[in-house]
Amino acid sequence: MRVVLSLSLAAGCFAAVQLVASAQGVRPAAVPDITGSWERYGGFFGAPTEARRNDPTIPPRPPQPPLKPEYLKEWQARVQAAREADAKGTPLATNYTNCLPDGMPTMMGAMFPLEILQSRGQITIIEEAFTQVRRILLDQPQKRIDDVEPGFYGRSVGRWDGDALVVDTIGVKESVRFQNTSHSREMRIAERMHLVAPDILWNEITITDPVTLEKPWTVVYAYRRMPNYTLLEYVCEDNREFADQGFQKSTLGTGSGTGKK
Amino acid sequence: MTRGQRLTIGCVASLLMAGAIPVRAHHSFAMFDHTRTITVKGEVTKFQWTNPHALLELDVPGPAGNKHYTLELTSINMMQRLGWRSDYIKAGDKVKAVIAPLVNGEAGGLLLEITLPDGRKLEPGVPAAGTFKRTPEAE
Repeated sequence: MRVVLSLSLAAGCFAAVQLVASAQGVRPAAVPDITGSWERYGGFFGAPTEARRNDPTIPPRPPQPPLKPEYLKEWQARVQAAREADAKGTPLATNYTNCLPDGMPTMMGAMFPLEILQSRGQITIIEEAFTQVRRILLDQPQKRIDDVEPGFYGRSVGRWDGDALVVDTIGVKESVRFQNTSHSREMRIAERMHLVAPDILWNEITITDPVTLEKPWTVVYAYRRMPNYTLLEYVCEDNREFADQGFQKSTLGTGSGTGKK
Repeated sequence: MTRGQRLTIGCVASLLMAGAIPVRAHHSFAMFDHTRTITVKGEVTKFQWTNPHALLELDVPGPAGNKHYTLELTSINMMQRLGWRSDYIKAGDKVKAVIAPLVNGEAGGLLLEITLPDGRKLEPGVPAAGTFKRTPEAE
């Protein structure tokens, strides 16, 4: 019953939003309306249940990264070090320890909700955590990799291929790691976003990197519409967990009042 | 707290229990002891409403005087989605806190549940909170 109600509500909202957006002329009528708030759907904590396995709108679990042997070895060592540090109660520092955002493509994992905005010539995606913003320039040529200054989000160009938004991203700096893997300046991220149900959007992310990967690496994320949700502000203001010689050590409990180090 | 706010918290708690709100973590929770909890009663000296975590400073009276605890909560965005507001806890409030203590033994930890002066219990929405084994409160 709850499912039927949710689907009906979602379908109603979907139709309403479609009309408004079309009236504003921000996108061709034939292009799907993906404007709005979305949350990650399927594939969180715990082993997949039977119901999840049978739900065709939940994508398969991501495969291990197909890294070349030297990079695979380095990645496995990094994963093992993190596991051992966790077992000792002293987790390793991550980008979050320094209040740094995810960048691409990690932000598309949507740990916190996403907002997608369709406007003339551009699609903008905002991730609530760390207020991450990426701009997808529509129907524009991509630059050469050497001509893009590396950053957290890279340079994204996109186009509609039927009802799928196809995006090409280059220029993600090497310190911005996806699932703790290394990548080179040559990395390229291809995305294919399409609705698999009126309120479920899939993003098929395929990473290629001639330096670090044996073959293309595809990870699929699903998102569910949040019709009544407005993204909240998020400023990383005072993280009291600090990196100490490569290890994350908590200052909690010092009673210093600020906990700053 | 208004009736609406109470309702929000009730609704969100129900949604959480039904698994309707997905929750994820920004960092490992390995620094907190998953095998036991401690329950302390004390006075709030500061409630800090910040990201990536809200923080609660607490003075807990004991035989040797006050012991100061610094407690981590979840992201204030997650807490707001659960119905929390920044004025729910104030300096001077006498509260009871259920904590997953720091593994390193320092006086701090992860707040799992708080009982406010008016008796209401709130949870900050710790991801996979069920993985923290609760120790019954000593009488």
